[in-house]
Amino acid sequence: MSVDVQTTEAGVLEDLTGMLRVLLEEYGLEDAEITMATKFHEDLELESIDLVTLSGLLREHYGDRINFATFIADKELDEIIALTVGELVIFVVEALR
Amino acid sequence: MKVRVGEIDLHVQRLSPDAERAPVVVLVHGMLYDSLASYYFTLGPAFAAAGLDVIMYDLRGHGRSSRPTTGYRLEEHIDDLVGLLDALEIDEPVHLVGNSYGGSIAFGLAAAQPERVASVVAIEAEPPVEAWSQRLGDGLARAKPWLITDEAIDLIKQAKGDHEARLSRGAGKLLQTTTIAEDVLLSRTIDPGLADIRCPVLALYGDESVLMEQVDYLKANLIGCRVVVLPEQGHSVLIERTAETSSLVLDWVREQSLVEAE
Repeated sequence: MSVDVQTTEAGVLEDLTGMLRVLLEEYGLEDAEITMATKFHEDLELESIDLVTLSGLLREHYGDRINFATFIADKELDEIIALTVGELVIFVVEALR
Repeated sequence: MKVRVGEIDLHVQRLSPDAERAPVVVLVHGMLYDSLASYYFTLGPAFAAAGLDVIMYDLRGHGRSSRPTTGYRLEEHIDDLVGLLDALEIDEPVHLVGNSYGGSIAFGLAAAQPERVASVVAIEAEPPVEAWSQRLGDGLARAKPWLITDEAIDLIKQAKGDHEARLSRGAGKLLQTTTIAEDVLLSRTIDPGLADIRCPVLALYGDESVLMEQVDYLKANLIGCRVVVLPEQGHSVLIERTAETSSLVLDWVREQSLVEAE
């Protein structure tokens, strides 16, 4: 694991926010507020294909321990669309433990 | 990853098992509203966990693949798929799973280059015959001016919610900025007797879908074709009946792979 990987909730939120900024910049939404309660679809207007990209960014950053595919395997597509940033942060924090 | 095919980049997600020589399954998504995400969040991970070499890609114009202004005839989508397999150095026959328009691409490749295709799984899809091209082309010609109106988006929002409305706005933009609607009518079609499709075919339909007439058509023209009809189900079989679809397709691919191995 590289030294700059943060494993606290606040740290993961910070890193995830950075990844989301990259995605959002493409849509000209770089100023959007991102908190634990932010919903990917409703608040950030991200589509499921953006979550595929995010999943790749997560793997790049955290390595194979963060398996987004496992996280979403038991979720329906509408639940995935309704995901919050916080749910993903908690998943990452637990996976890194 | 992005894979260069001809003049465009295709966005590809591949989930490969550790074992070598796993059966290759290519998942082909539908038109306008769709992307590889529909598989990435449904069948993809389960298939990879079951030991299949899973390839998902965004069709040109869709998801995170390039969006050229032109080049949306069926045979051009088929060329993209063949170009992708070549770029990935996959020369063995693959199992194609196609949802809706993606199923038409799968049937089209099976007819055009049978040596590349081990089997076709068509989910709520039609073989690309003349009648298909006319029906789909007419539908898209009607949708093209309609989907960019506020009235349409508002109606869709009321009936199906924000998410569907946003997808519809995206579909309207794709129709407006490319020749995708016109190209369906210009597409090369296959013999309506389906004589050119010789590989094993599994077809899934919802009994409330407008495509139900395909059931008898396929049974009459494709000898040995297996057709499964899911009760109380419309067109969105893949998304709304993921678990059943997953198990039907996994069993099918396993069965076909055993036949191949004999």
